[in-house]
Amino acid sequence: MAQLSLRGIKKRFRETAVLHGIDLEIGDREFVVFVGPSGCGKSTLLRLIAGLDPITEGEFFLNGQRMNDVVPSRRGIAMVFQSYALYPHMDVYENMAFGARLMGLSKDEVEARIAEAARMLRLEPLLQRKPRELSGGQRQRVAIGRALVRKPAVFLLDEPLSNLDAALRSEVRLEIARLHRQIGGTMIYVTHDQVEAMTLADKIVVMNAGRIEQVGSPRELYETPANTFVASFIGSPRMTLIDVTREGDHLSMKDGGGSLAPGALPDAAAMKLGMRSDAVLLTRGQGGEGFAGQVVYTEYLGDNAYVYVRLSDGTLLAARVGPNDGFEPDTPVTMTIAPGAAHFFFRRGWPAVGPIGPKHVHTEQRGKNEKQHDPHRRCPGRDGRGRTRPGPGPHLLELAPGRPRCL
Amino acid sequence: MPKLRMTGRGLWITILIVPPLVFVALFIVYPIVSAFAYAFFDWQGLRRGEFVGLDNFWTVLFVEPYRSWTVNAFTHNIVVFFALMVLQNGLGFILAYALWRELPGARFHRVAVFLPVVLSTIIVAYLFKLFLHPLFGVVNISLKGIGLGWLAQPWLGQGSTALWSLIIAQAWHMVGFPTLVFLAGMQRIPGEILDAVRMETESEWVKITKVVWPLVAPSATIVFTLLFVGAFNWFELPYIMAGLDGSPYGSTDVLGLYFYRTAFGNVSSGQQDFGLGSALAVLIFIFIAAVASVITVRLRAREIQL
Repeated sequence: MAQLSLRGIKKRFRETAVLHGIDLEIGDREFVVFVGPSGCGKSTLLRLIAGLDPITEGEFFLNGQRMNDVVPSRRGIAMVFQSYALYPHMDVYENMAFGARLMGLSKDEVEARIAEAARMLRLEPLLQRKPRELSGGQRQRVAIGRALVRKPAVFLLDEPLSNLDAALRSEVRLEIARLHRQIGGTMIYVTHDQVEAMTLADKIVVMNAGRIEQVGSPRELYETPANTFVASFIGSPRMTLIDVTREGDHLSMKDGGGSLAPGALPDAAAMKLGMRSDAVLLTRGQGGEGFAGQVVYTEYLGDNAYVYVRLSDGTLLAARVGPNDGFEPDTPVTMTIAPGAAHFFFRRGWPAVGPIGPKHVHTEQRGKNEKQHDPHRRCPGRDGRGRTRPGPGPHLLELAPGRPRCL
Repeated sequence: MPKLRMTGRGLWITILIVPPLVFVALFIVYPIVSAFAYAFFDWQGLRRGEFVGLDNFWTVLFVEPYRSWTVNAFTHNIVVFFALMVLQNGLGFILAYALWRELPGARFHRVAVFLPVVLSTIIVAYLFKLFLHPLFGVVNISLKGIGLGWLAQPWLGQGSTALWSLIIAQAWHMVGFPTLVFLAGMQRIPGEILDAVRMETESEWVKITKVVWPLVAPSATIVFTLLFVGAFNWFELPYIMAGLDGSPYGSTDVLGLYFYRTAFGNVSSGQQDFGLGSALAVLIFIFIAAVASVITVRLRAREIQL
């Protein structure tokens, strides 16, 4: 059983504020991934949960118990570090036994737990080796094993795959997912790689500049991103975002050129139009409905290909096409959007409405921790205390202040 | 092999290397080698006499009164070594740990602890001689001032306290050195390893004994070996604070003083014997070299690649 509750967590290192108020609930047996760009505070948050750094402000509860002043070793939390942090002077067995013995377990119990962890992680032949005699992947498994034998309520993993090569990475990723199913503990996993986040998580916490941008399942984040930051962070290639203005039933690009009518339009004059690569339809030649552009280059991936198109306002658009669709560079093309696949974002990077169309009925699938997804119910530009959150980039503030709902 | 033509670079290298090489050979290598040779001859003042084989060695080791002088000085060196191992290296380790954990004022104390190391031994020795003066020394005056007058002693004037006074002066002087070496060793420990220990225990004792200490083993090797060499070569501080005789009554006599006295004579008697002196020097050298090698090899074995 492990229920974590973070309330208004703030962290400052001297004058530098790193976390600006984190509210988060994590349920038992959940696999939660903190994801965000470097320096967004995700590792700091993990260290606060571990107790390695003190919390400046706010409260952290584990199973209803306030943990702010509990030392790390008494929290029932184990951590797997980015560099593995194995004790170099102890062999694999000792590395795993060290923490277990300090918990005051009997000798037999320690031995039994190590045997179990070693079997689960296939470490039996390595027990007598020193860490320096192990490969990166083996060290990784020992680090996980060391956490396992303590049978903690919560596992913290700090970018555990970042020191492994690409092939090993996907293998260990599967291993971790399997372990989570097997032992059923609560896991919190930090990464900057959105693919890891998408494949592992029950719940993703997208962080940026010391704040939580959105919390939700991988599907929710992909299909109904709360703002332009989440939209462009989740999914590969990135979602294309274009500044558009609404004119009647049509949308036109800011610097002129092209217009398109993707169906019922939200009630605003200026907005950002977001499109995933699979939502874009390209046709050769220009003129007619849609935005005009020129092919810059094509990435061929075998089962499909990505075409990058420079639109007339300078935006680089990514579009997925069939592998045989051969768009040569400099081909003039026209872009339209698949029905119901467009996302619209309004001022400060927050959406007034989700994607339009029957494909995206997202009110039912909203997780209990998810906040402010439905702009009609709650003003999305503000957090719980009524303050306006700053947006991810200054360019968004240039949008016309014509928003009727959220000012 | 590159041809060394006496032009340009090669010429410069030669010009720069030859003078110090000659200097070292003339004033360091030659005296050491000749000291070995002197030990096998009989000496009458400055005049070299007969070749006597191992007689000089036999005399300093087994013939009275040299035998008991040797034993006395050697015993004191052993005491000094173990006392400094605790007071200098032990305290140095604890200080290094405190500095490493960034306790309040760590920046100031990092400088303060190392400052005495920079001072000349002469200054430290005279300073402590003044501190420990029986009548107007700051130690006795302070003791009387706080009502502990019965603890006041003629620290350097009685056999029971003289050697320990020297040891404490030496420890104060040099404690910054092991501190610095240990601190450097600790700073090499990756931060995540310390974090990993903190996830498993909050006991400082476990952290120190099970993780920090094994991981600073390379620093310990250096510090132990240097202390061993230093303790058995100890000369300046006892020479200044206790004099050439190891006063009072040989209670501070150490091998360094004993050798010097034997070889070059002493203020009161003026006797000098290069043969016995050289024999002592050779014995000290062999002892230090042998034990230091053993210490180094044994301690190296428990060092860990980080």
